[in-house]
Order: sequence, then structure tokens, then C-alpha cells
Amino acid sequence: MQDILSVALRALSFLFLLQAAGVALFLAIFGRLLASSADAIRGLGRWSARVGLAFVAAHYALEAARMAGEFSGIWDLSLQRTALRSGGAAFGVRVLGLSLVALSLRRVDAGALVLGVVGTAIAVAAFILVGHTAVHPQRWILAPLLMLHLLIVAFWLGALLPLYLASLRESPEISTTLVNAFSRLATWLVPGILVAGVALAILLVPSIGVFAQPYGWLLLTKVALFAGLMGLASLNKWRLGPALGRGDHRGGLGFRRSLLSEYVLIFVVLTVTAVMTTFFSPE
Amino acid sequence: MKSSTLLSGIALLALVGVAHAHAHLKRSIPADASVVSVAPSSVVLTFSEAARLTAAWIQKGDAAKQKLGPLPERPATEVTVALPALQPGTYVVSWRALSDDGHVMPGQIRFAVSESPGAGPTQH
Repeated sequence: MQDILSVALRALSFLFLLQAAGVALFLAIFGRLLASSADAIRGLGRWSARVGLAFVAAHYALEAARMAGEFSGIWDLSLQRTALRSGGAAFGVRVLGLSLVALSLRRVDAGALVLGVVGTAIAVAAFILVGHTAVHPQRWILAPLLMLHLLIVAFWLGALLPLYLASLRESPEISTTLVNAFSRLATWLVPGILVAGVALAILLVPSIGVFAQPYGWLLLTKVALFAGLMGLASLNKWRLGPALGRGDHRGGLGFRRSLLSEYVLIFVVLTVTAVMTTFFSPE
Repeated sequence: MKSSTLLSGIALLALVGVAHAHAHLKRSIPADASVVSVAPSSVVLTFSEAARLTAAWIQKGDAAKQKLGPLPERPATEVTVALPALQPGTYVVSWRALSDDGHVMPGQIRFAVSESPGAGPTQH
């Protein structure tokens, strides 16, 4: 039971951490284009960072229970000390990064944008302090690849709800400018998720035989979900985004539905990742 | 994203790689799914890399789990855990191990202690 709860908390902590970090990136890159939605987007980022902090703390607290194989392990000081030694640094860095992101979203100035980007980089860097990349002999290449992979995921995930809010609150002209600016950058960046992901898999997966095991199945599930996400992103870029610019009500509705579908699919990918990294390894 | 990029990416997965991930069980004494004629006094677990056992249990059939201990304090690739006196029957030894990379991995082996002490250990 504690394993299932741990997977749920891990997936939710991934979601809110990457969303908060992504909102900070969104504001740093596209903030100057916003008029009437900027405050709501900052509020979303602050809320995401706070909820992310709660899930990160809850997931961390549960590690001792996982070590004990029962919930009473949470109160075992010896196991909590062991958890602190093994994952304390990553936890601390996550908390620091999310706190900086939350702090940056309370202000509206250039310094706040820089603070948000620094907080994002720190929050994402926590992922290279645990797991395969922390102990792998080829850490020098795995760590930057994982950072790149996660920063682009944060950029993509973190833009979805801000684009949703902007499509509701901004004029059709501003919405179109924003969607076009995001699409131009995303077209270059998003394939980097796959490129970095494949490079990571090449380094971590020992042989093709892994694809006959749960780890490999989950990896292929992620690739299939990513292909579905790319389909939705293409639909937004070529059909629904332009309809939004025409002030077409049904087009706007379709655009927002598609953004929410992308959001749900990314959450499914993060949940698959949480299951994969909690229970399996590329043996 | 062109489909050719996706396909070539997946194809690349088959080419190279080095395995270094969470510690997983490589072998054990008694072996998983084995039948032994003499009840073992301990179980020896060999992991792919150093791991620290944080909890371990033994369960006979549908009976309640019994905690095993004391467990080694330090991480090691080979871990020996003492077992209580075992009667003939089917047993599951399960554990939680903390890998060097900070992940907690569950694992288990099953073995049976046969009724006939004359028969040697067999693998299934």
C-alpha cells in the first residue's frame, strides 16, 4: 500500500514541480507579451510551487515507510536518518528550487524573472542527485542529458495552463501572437525531449532484452504516449491555434480542450515514469 | 516530429548500453523457486551492486509474515540473513533494499523445504 501511495505522491510531485518551474520559464520567455493574464499565470505558478512543496515533502517522508515495508516506518528514526543520508540532498535542493520559484512569482520585475529561472534550474537539478544518474560511471553525460530532458518537459508542461488562461483572458491578437511565439520555440525544443530520452535509454538500457521486461514495456509506453502528444501539439499548431486567432469561439474551445488533453497525457507519462523508477530497473 | 526520427531513435536503443541502475537480485542461496532437502539456517542474497537491506520477512504458506533480523548495517553486494528453524513447507523471503542511487527496491524469493531429507537440493 505504501508503494502505491509513494508512486502517486511521486507522480504528483513531478507534475507540480515541473509545472511551477515551467510557469517561471513561460513568464521569463513570453511574459512581455502578456497583458491581462499575467497575474493569473503568476498565481498559478505560486500555487503550483506550494502544492509541489507539499507533495515533495510527503513523498520524502514516506521513504522510511517504504524501507520498512509498513507505514509505521515513518516513525522509525533510524530509517529516517537512512532516508536523510540517501535522499536528503535531493529533497533539500528540490525545496530550495521550488521556494525560489514561489518567491520569484510574488514580484514583477527583471530580477524576479532571473530568480524564477535560477529556481527552475535548481529544482530540476535535484533529479540528477538521485537515481541512475547519481551513481552511473557515465554521469558526466547522463546528468546534462537528464537536465535538458526535464527542462524541456517543464517548458512544455508549464506552458499549457498559461496558454489556456491567456486564450480566455487575452484579446485574439495577443493570444495568437503568444501561441505563435510558443509554437516557434516548441518546434525546436520539444524534439529534444525525445533525443535526450533516447540518448539516456541507450546509456541505461543494457540490451534489447529489456523490452521483454516491465521496464522496457513502460519505456515503450512512454514513447507511444509521446507520439500521441506530438499529434496533439501538431493539431494545436496547424489547426486549433490559427482558429483561435480568427476569434472563432469553437476554435478557441477546441484549442483549450486540446491543451487539457496534452496536460492529462503528460501527467500519464509522469505517472508511468514514477511507476518505472519506483519498481523496476533496466536489468 | 517525423516518424523516421522516432523509429531511428527506437532502433538506436538496441545498439549499445551499460547497465547501472537500482540494485537487483542476481542470485540467492537457496535459489529462487528451488526445493531443498535440508532447512537452511540463513539466506544469502547477492545483488547487482551494493545495497542495504532495510527490512526482511519470511512467510510460510498463508501464515503471518515473520520479521527477520538483525540486518547488516552497511550496504554490501552479498547479504546474509539468519533464518529461524524451518519446517517442511513452502516459504517466501521478501525484503526492502536501499540502492546506492537512493531507490528503495522490493524483492522476494520462494523456496520449499522438502519432507524427505534424503533428496538433494533441486532447481525448478
